[in-house]
Amino acid sequence: MISESVSRLIEEFSKLPGIGKKTAERLTYHVLRVHEAEALQLAEAIRNIKLNVRYCEECYNLAETEQCAICRDSRRDRSRICVVEQPRDLISLENTGSYSGSYHVLLGRIAPLEGIGPEQLTIDRLIERVQQGGVKEVIMATNPTVEGDGTALHISNLLAEFPLEITRLARGVTAGSVLEFANREVLTDALTGRQKF
Amino acid sequence: MPLEPATALVLRTVDWSESSLVVTLFSREFGKIRGVARGGRRPKGPFESSLDVLSRCRIIFLRKSSDALDVLSEAKLIERFRPFERGLPALQAGYHIAELLDAWTDCYDPHPQLYDLTIATLAELRPQTPLGALLLQFELAALRLLGYFPALKECVHCGAVVQPQSRVSFSCLEGGVLCVSCRPGKRNVISLSNAAWQIMSQLPLLWDDDQTTTEKEASDARQRKLDVDGLRRLPTDGLGELRPVVSQYVNHLLGFMPRTQASLGK
Repeated sequence: MISESVSRLIEEFSKLPGIGKKTAERLTYHVLRVHEAEALQLAEAIRNIKLNVRYCEECYNLAETEQCAICRDSRRDRSRICVVEQPRDLISLENTGSYSGSYHVLLGRIAPLEGIGPEQLTIDRLIERVQQGGVKEVIMATNPTVEGDGTALHISNLLAEFPLEITRLARGVTAGSVLEFANREVLTDALTGRQKF
Repeated sequence: MPLEPATALVLRTVDWSESSLVVTLFSREFGKIRGVARGGRRPKGPFESSLDVLSRCRIIFLRKSSDALDVLSEAKLIERFRPFERGLPALQAGYHIAELLDAWTDCYDPHPQLYDLTIATLAELRPQTPLGALLLQFELAALRLLGYFPALKECVHCGAVVQPQSRVSFSCLEGGVLCVSCRPGKRNVISLSNAAWQIMSQLPLLWDDDQTTTEKEASDARQRKLDVDGLRRLPTDGLGELRPVVSQYVNHLLGFMPRTQASLGK
């Protein structure tokens, strides 16, 4: 028999995505082995994330104050808004280091088959930001899936009345690959989105 | 247990874990299939991002004999549904078709003609197509193929031939038209104009459901089967009247209102 506390921690760990029973047991025994201070640091970090992290009032990125670090940064170009589905997509784009504009996180995508409509996303706040003025370009960076594209299409229809440029991320052949092995859909995307030299 | 090859349309995907999906497909050979695609969310691997809603692909799957989900081992994309080229109304119609197919069909109950009708309809979902008429045609033709088409020529209650008049009584509860003698006392009866009644009778016939045996033959036959010009010639007032009637009939058969129905025509 294992103690109640140990079995409870195993149960809690096994609720995490990608963690099965065996991994949960390994993590639990690791927590038992490490120093008390280290284990409590983990507990404190989990506690802090739940108590302190909220959504940015401007862009809905994760933040610990009213505005996230990106919205507070005066060096960012506020005339461009890059629209993403989730905060993790924003992190991926930030990691490229090649974008200096602002963001807007939708917190999902329109998925009628799952019962998720536009009213459940942060589209209204995006429209408000555009209405406030100063926005010259909105970049649609939703996932290149039917639902992601459908969400981008819905937003672009709503923004059509505003004097701004609406763009979307390029798609097509991966750099370093060969055309011979690219599938028909990828080549179609690449041809459709071709650029001038 | 053998691996089965099939040609299928993706109706729905649900994230299962970090990289896996539970996928609902409507295949030509086996009807509806529900399976797990391990690694289906990864761009590389045996699925190559082909398992997206409304995409048509060639799949290989392991059929489970119990109630457990099947296991998809491979998927190759044939054609992706491209919302930017089709437009928002076409996308909403595509979602509606996917939801209806999921609700109307059972696993391992093949309907090759319904599959062909679906693929032909999806191919025509474009901005210049009369989408309302196309969707009505899909719904009515699908009802006919599945055996749910309402009785329109004879009274559903007494069997007497219903004579064409200025208006016809249609009952969703009874599943068809009612003659003048049987109409009194019946609940939820809709009064249909003669134009709407004619369209309802003729619309599914624009889909010629000759039995085709292979995917190749069906593919060759598709272009001549959907008469989009015929849909354009239909009177718009009759179509407008028919939309809520067909929706109500579909809701009655399903026992619920499809989630995608509200967004149609917005």
